[in-house]
Amino acid sequence: MSETTATMNEQEQLAQLWFVAARAMAVADGTVPAVKEASAGLYAQAILGLSEETCRVAKSPESIGNLTLVDCLAGVHALPREQAEKIMTGVMMISFADGHMEPLEVRWASMLASACEMTAEDFQRCCASARVIASMFNPSAPPTDDTTSQEAEA
Amino acid sequence: MSTEQGSNFEFMNRYDNRVSHLGSQAEQYVHTDPESCLFKLRLMVEMMARRLVELQAPRLADLDLIAILRSLEQYGMLPKKQADGMHAIRRDGNAAVHGSETPVPTAMRRLRDAHRISAWYCSMIQRGAKVRTGQFVPPPGPASANEHSQAMHEAAEALEDHIDDRRQATREGLLLFAEQEELPIEVQRIVSELEGLDRVAQAAGEPLVDAEFVAVVMAMEMEQLLEHPTLGLDTREAKREAEKQFQRIKEGFELREAMYAEERRALMLYHQRERQGRHTRGD
Repeated sequence: MSETTATMNEQEQLAQLWFVAARAMAVADGTVPAVKEASAGLYAQAILGLSEETCRVAKSPESIGNLTLVDCLAGVHALPREQAEKIMTGVMMISFADGHMEPLEVRWASMLASACEMTAEDFQRCCASARVIASMFNPSAPPTDDTTSQEAEA
Repeated sequence: MSTEQGSNFEFMNRYDNRVSHLGSQAEQYVHTDPESCLFKLRLMVEMMARRLVELQAPRLADLDLIAILRSLEQYGMLPKKQADGMHAIRRDGNAAVHGSETPVPTAMRRLRDAHRISAWYCSMIQRGAKVRTGQFVPPPGPASANEHSQAMHEAAEALEDHIDDRRQATREGLLLFAEQEELPIEVQRIVSELEGLDRVAQAAGEPLVDAEFVAVVMAMEMEQLLEHPTLGLDTREAKREAEKQFQRIKEGFELREAMYAEERRALMLYHQRERQGRHTRGD
């Protein structure tokens, strides 16, 4: 019984961390394009293994409303390595979805990577996987813009 | 609809005659042949989606209906409410095409959805012009409705409410934000916090992630990425794993839709047996 409760709590916490991290990346350019919406939930269920109900509960104001981005970074830091990497990959998937990256998006990726204590190599692996998954959701995405790196570093 | 009041879709004649005609045909079938009604509505949604794509994103024209709807949604061309209605018609239409029996209230709901979507569609193809539609008037049923058919109707309505709720729950599970959240306020709150963190990080001289690498990955063709000497193996593995996982979720969604069709079939079967029983007993 207590093990089940603990598992439930872990799942809920993972869902909260995922949705906070994903939201931050999705809105970092100041907008919420629809392209990023359903893919966040699909990723949560398919890759993070969260149930539909857990995803719904995690998004309720009582659950997610009091979590700050700093709480999220601390939570991700405390996660097992594999889960933290999955969150990083999913967050990068969201940033790849619309084909460009804004400075605040790069900053959020940077902070998450630091919270996960990722090496450059780990981060590259996450980016490559994220790109593949983003293309699954969005096969007809517009071509990417080569100026993104300069914008991001500005 | 062959009544004095005319068709609910008459207003569309001046915008898209073919789609309007399909809507009128669907109305004619709603009581006598609900499966054909759904078939017509599905065709109607497909024609609307293809016309929208031709106007707004011709490069998507070769995709199938589900991919077209998803793309229109992804690019912000199809609002959530209209998308929900179009997907419901697509799903129920597909079930009808594959032989699932359809209660009249199911077809009536989709007809109502189609009417709502039609108004939005006409406004879209008229580049946002105001379109006068009038209230949806349910096509009148046969005069022979009795107590039994009324009970059947009520049970089917209750089942449809339940299916709508479960479809809504599925959708809520997928969205990034809950429906009841004040989106602009939430976005502002998160962006403010991000900006604060950015200032702190800059002041601390914290380096950014390798933004140049991110841009390179973004610009790479998928084939290049999968065959990359160092990233290729991991990436191919991630692709295989992700495909497997997404397929599992997709199958779960399909299973639910099959279950809804089965629940409708069971309801109709139950009422058919009831009716036969009454007939045999001479009630």
